[in-house]
Amino acid sequence: MKIQILGTGCPKCIKLAENAQVAAKEAGVEFEIEKITDINKIMDLGVMLTPGLAIDGEVKSVGKVLSVEEIKKILKK
Amino acid sequence: MADKIEKDVCCDAKTNDTCCSGAARTLILACSGGSNVGQISNNLMIRLNMEGIGNTYCLAGIGAALSGFIESAKASQTILIDGCPTACGKKALEKYGIEANKYFVVTELGIKKNHDFNKLKDETDLALILLKKQL
Repeated sequence: MKIQILGTGCPKCIKLAENAQVAAKEAGVEFEIEKITDINKIMDLGVMLTPGLAIDGEVKSVGKVLSVEEIKKILKK
Repeated sequence: MADKIEKDVCCDAKTNDTCCSGAARTLILACSGGSNVGQISNNLMIRLNMEGIGNTYCLAGIGAALSGFIESAKASQTILIDGCPTACGKKALEKYGIEANKYFVVTELGIKKNHDFNKLKDETDLALILLKKQL
């Protein structure tokens, strides 16, 4: 699966990416992380608040740094 | 309304606010329907944007079930303007459990629904005055 981090690269975006990586490893899923930092691409997805998290192109969360546990719940759905 | 915004919001993409500022703007949605009042709702959305009250946003994106639009609307303060009591905008948001923080219906501002687009500017001016009294 492709885990996409939507954000321009601030510390909170980086933290979300770290949490997502840990969550995916703990969940035992095959994954790749894609960081989308182009603000226009982020807005094309309708995302108005960053950091955002998308899985395989579907936006799951915007405007918050999800915890590892929160991301694991999303990955299991 | 600010309580709805998570403390760890990074930045407001559309306005390019300073990252990690915690700032979040209000999203304005309009039904933008095919009648005069639908188009007035769209005009009002633009006018409110121009006055700095919020940012125009895509109700169509929510209607099309696009996840980014839905999640952004859930995470933001919202002003929704429907043209008439059919309330297409309100129903579109309800499908995803979203209730606008402020809700207006153009006909309830005293504008009669029709398909005459010759008076749009005057009707929009009047509706804007009345709407802003309720903001």
